[in-house]
Amino acid sequence: MTTETAQQAQLTAVLLQHEVEQFYYHEAALLDAHRYEDWVLLFTEDTHYFMPLRRTVTRRQLHLEFTKPGEMAFFDEDKNYLEIRARKFATGTSWAEDPPSRTRHLITNVHIAEKSGDELQVHSNFLLYRTRLKNDVDQWVGRREDTLRFTEAGLAIAKRHIFLDQTVLQSANLSSFF
Amino acid sequence: MAETSVVDQLDSLVSLERGEIDRRIFSDQEIFNLEMKHIFGRAWLFLCHESQIPKRGDFFEAPMGTDNVLVVRQKDGGIKAFLNTCSHRGNAVCRAEEGNVRNFMCTYHGWTFGLDGELVGVPGSSLFYKDKLDRSKYPLRKVAQLESYRGFVFATFDETAPPLPEYLGATGRLGLDLLAERGDMEVIPGIQKFTVKTNWKFTVDNVFDYYHPQITHMSAFALGLIPAPPDNYMEGGAKSETGANLEVPFLPTDLHNVVMVGEYGHAISGPDQDALEVSTGVEPFAWRHNDETQARLGRHGSRVAGHPHIFPTTWVTAGGQLSLRVPREPGVTEIWWFSFRDKNASPEENAALLSSHIHFFGPAGLLEQEDGENWAQSTLQTKGLRSREVPQLLKMGLGTSEVVKDDGLAIIDAPINEHAQLWTYHSWREWLRNPTWEELRERTVPHDRF
Ligand code: FES
Ligand SMILES: [Fe+2]
Repeated sequence: MTTETAQQAQLTAVLLQHEVEQFYYHEAALLDAHRYEDWVLLFTEDTHYFMPLRRTVTRRQLHLEFTKPGEMAFFDEDKNYLEIRARKFATGTSWAEDPPSRTRHLITNVHIAEKSGDELQVHSNFLLYRTRLKNDVDQWVGRREDTLRFTEAGLAIAKRHIFLDQTVLQSANLSSFF
Repeated sequence: MAETSVVDQLDSLVSLERGEIDRRIFSDQEIFNLEMKHIFGRAWLFLCHESQIPKRGDFFEAPMGTDNVLVVRQKDGGIKAFLNTCSHRGNAVCRAEEGNVRNFMCTYHGWTFGLDGELVGVPGSSLFYKDKLDRSKYPLRKVAQLESYRGFVFATFDETAPPLPEYLGATGRLGLDLLAERGDMEVIPGIQKFTVKTNWKFTVDNVFDYYHPQITHMSAFALGLIPAPPDNYMEGGAKSETGANLEVPFLPTDLHNVVMVGEYGHAISGPDQDALEVSTGVEPFAWRHNDETQARLGRHGSRVAGHPHIFPTTWVTAGGQLSLRVPREPGVTEIWWFSFRDKNASPEENAALLSSHIHFFGPAGLLEQEDGENWAQSTLQTKGLRSREVPQLLKMGLGTSEVVKDDGLAIIDAPINEHAQLWTYHSWREWLRNPTWEELRERTVPHDRF
């Protein structure tokens, strides 16, 4: 009996893991297809999309490595700003993405850290590979800490904090989403 | 026959009369080396703001040309800056960008330096050096002069450089006043740093370029992020690749700009505050309304709503940020954004300000997203054998503007123009000749006409 319950729980976990991963693959595909306005629909109204700045500090001062909300960041967005950004790319005059970049979002190490109520805390790693024009190449690797919420429309992103593995950004801009 | 070196042709590189610049100055390695020596090796350079290092032992690593210096808050509250290179065998004595320390210990052999840069510890000094090493002779190498102007910390490697306020002159001081006057200013934690494959001069030229936003940042206009009067478009202009007329927003401020040019190459350029209010209907920032501020900025200064630039690479924005352009290679420049807030502002005011700092400039900024590629592509084309022979044009308003000299400022009231860029290149060339400070000042006294 116990074994059966344990197996049941394992199966539930596997299915949940599968659902979350499929959600991320779908999201990545939207971004790589430049379907930004559809992508924004994956976020809840109260979402917080945040990419802090990262600094090289000594191990003793590692608590100061990332800036915090209320301090400077690369992205600090509510749903409204995400919509503005998506609309910007659709204006036809957003030259940073015209010609469009080629991007590939690789999402790995998906780990459901916590499940409480209708929310999941999910950690994942990403590699965003971008090429532009003839020979511009940018790569960003990092970690995401998401809060995913079960809504009537399915999973939605209620929080995304993005931690980039660069301090001095090695690219001229960030005209992609993470 | 060997090609003549660009350096031997300084005179012909910049023509104030024709408004033309030789494109080779943007990719030539020899020119870059000269710039590092004669400009960045001598000029007063912005390092950081005092609020970034409030406590004893706080430090911030800042670039000075090809060097990196540690700016350190001292025990007595003063500030010192020294090269981040060990006096033993050159290792960096600090490998963090910022932080707080009691001392700097070199991780190679352990030489240890105090907050003042003095050598205070040498492992095995009696055993290996028989106590014969005179520690006082091997401190970290200090900058020649360091001074703050209203909290902005500058340093120079040249001990003969004039004092900072004199170097800044009325134009440079006004540029910093336009930031300092906003309140009890501090830097918001987090300096955005990013890398553009461009020559630093393109990034400086752009500071004054009020001709590009309508096109480069057209998408931001389209979204209403930059206020523009509705249904008012520029004639005769841009067509899309399908031949359709692009609706280029026309800003009445384009017809009334204030330019100031100053000794040593400092300049200010951009819209007139009153014209800006009338044309966009946007209320001026509250800080401008204070009588003391108006008095401090003066009759002319209080009209400035554009962009001050302190030669060679420090830009103060209208929104309350400071951007440092850091040359790393002829074709590689880092951009560092220092973002300010008033210590006494309310949480709501701070939140709004932070949001505008994040959403306008910086690599993800809704404006600056578009800038880098223009500069990178412009830099790239200066490498073409034939492309680099095409002169760079700065002809807008050329020869049509009177300069009025008043209050120590040289002021031009004119429609949008390219005078400030030309002035920067003119001064740049004079710096490259490596004159004495006296000669340099004389040669960069603004002309009466532009
Ligand atoms: S190089 Fe610094 S102690 Fe030797
Ligand atoms: Fe711009």
